Amino acid sequence: MNSIKKIATTLGLGLALTAAATAGDAMKMVDEAAKLDVKKVCDVKANGAAKVLAVAEKYNPAAVELGVEFKRLGIRNSVYIKGLKEAVKAKKPEVTLKYKAKGKEKKKTFKTDYAAWRACTFAVRALQQVKEADKTYRLAIPGDGFKF
Amino acid sequence: MKKSIVRASVLMLVGSVFLVAGGYNAQAEKDRKALVQYMEKKFSDPAKNKAMFFPYATDEDINKHLKKGVKFEEFRLGSYAIDKGGRDQYEEIKEMPPYEDNIDAGEELYKKYAFFKKCFPDPAIAGEYPKFDDKSGKVVTLTRAINQCLVANGEKPWKMTKGKIADLEAYFAAKSAEAGKKVNIQINSKAAADAYERGKKEYYSQRGYLKLSCANCHVQGSGNRVRREYLSPLLGHTTHFPVYRLKWQGLGTLERRIKGCEKNQGENPHKPSSDWTAEMLYFMSYMSNGLPVDGPDVRR
Repeated sequence: MNSIKKIATTLGLGLALTAAATAGDAMKMVDEAAKLDVKKVCDVKANGAAKVLAVAEKYNPAAVELGVEFKRLGIRNSVYIKGLKEAVKAKKPEVTLKYKAKGKEKKKTFKTDYAAWRACTFAVRALQQVKEADKTYRLAIPGDGFKF
Repeated sequence: MKKSIVRASVLMLVGSVFLVAGGYNAQAEKDRKALVQYMEKKFSDPAKNKAMFFPYATDEDINKHLKKGVKFEEFRLGSYAIDKGGRDQYEEIKEMPPYEDNIDAGEELYKKYAFFKKCFPDPAIAGEYPKFDDKSGKVVTLTRAINQCLVANGEKPWKMTKGKIADLEAYFAAKSAEAGKKVNIQINSKAAADAYERGKKEYYSQRGYLKLSCANCHVQGSGNRVRREYLSPLLGHTTHFPVYRLKWQGLGTLERRIKGCEKNQGENPHKPSSDWTAEMLYFMSYMSNGLPVDGPDVRR
């Protein structure tokens, strides 16, 4: 009985530590993303779609972890990234994204370069906004930073 | 001498305990009063306040469509407190409310599952939720409380956005309105105050690809027009849920509405069961403290 308790406690502690570490990692990514110039790092013409996609792949998981992932017209940024991987590798000019909206399977086609730019800016900006909000949210509160 | 020192210190101790206990909602109360003041000032005379509050509105919007002199209690009506045309349509729909069957269905559910009477002996509780549970350290919305009751009694939890849960909440809301209950959200501990602050921060943080905060539309933007809708004010937002939305062609919970707002901001919505949603609703509901419970209701 005691050994079961010990195992449960160890597992619980392990899970809590993992969760804390993951949140900590995500915040590190926020700090890192805050220093980026999104126009430069997500410029497909200058960097190529593969490099731009790599930036999206690097930062989007932290946005998912923090609950700030972007979604446009029913398509999550993770869906852009997943669809782009194959298209960029095969150097296809267009990418067709499959996604679910209101329980229905849907698909939409984009130019690969455009989708890569979008995936990158969505990933980086989502994290930059977390940092910006720390400084700006109180400015909108009546009676606090917002004077009327 | 000794006795009087002991008495004085006991009195001071008791006094300080009361001060601390009473102080947990001090910031929230300050925020709420400022919000009420802001909304009343904004809608006291929209034409006069155009430069400050409605810089992009047309004169027609302001003179034909916005109400003047809106007072605290009226904000329970959401956008119909401020939108003249919307209010007329709303009053017509209210003559034959589309949610009456849902209230009956909710009452049946309350009777069918006997354990609900143990979990919620008084069904007039809509104004008391969300609550902060110090044991679990979490905010419990009414939707969460219903599911907790179901699970504790060996049932599967219900979908948190519509269906049975919205029906039962409609019954609770109708009973609360019937009893003349007011929104009465409590913040009684440091942990509860922290949860409130987290909810407030999320409400005022700009997010999504449109970089909008909830406040952009429902505080600073309230009363401004987006297409043909006048944006509803934060004050009074939670008083009338669950609502029958014409867009949904059915009844939905606050969790459902929040999910829709997040989509509109351009971000992947949080799960209705998440702590994020619960804390957001805790903040929003506190802002409506003192307003009458007015649900269920109908909205466009």
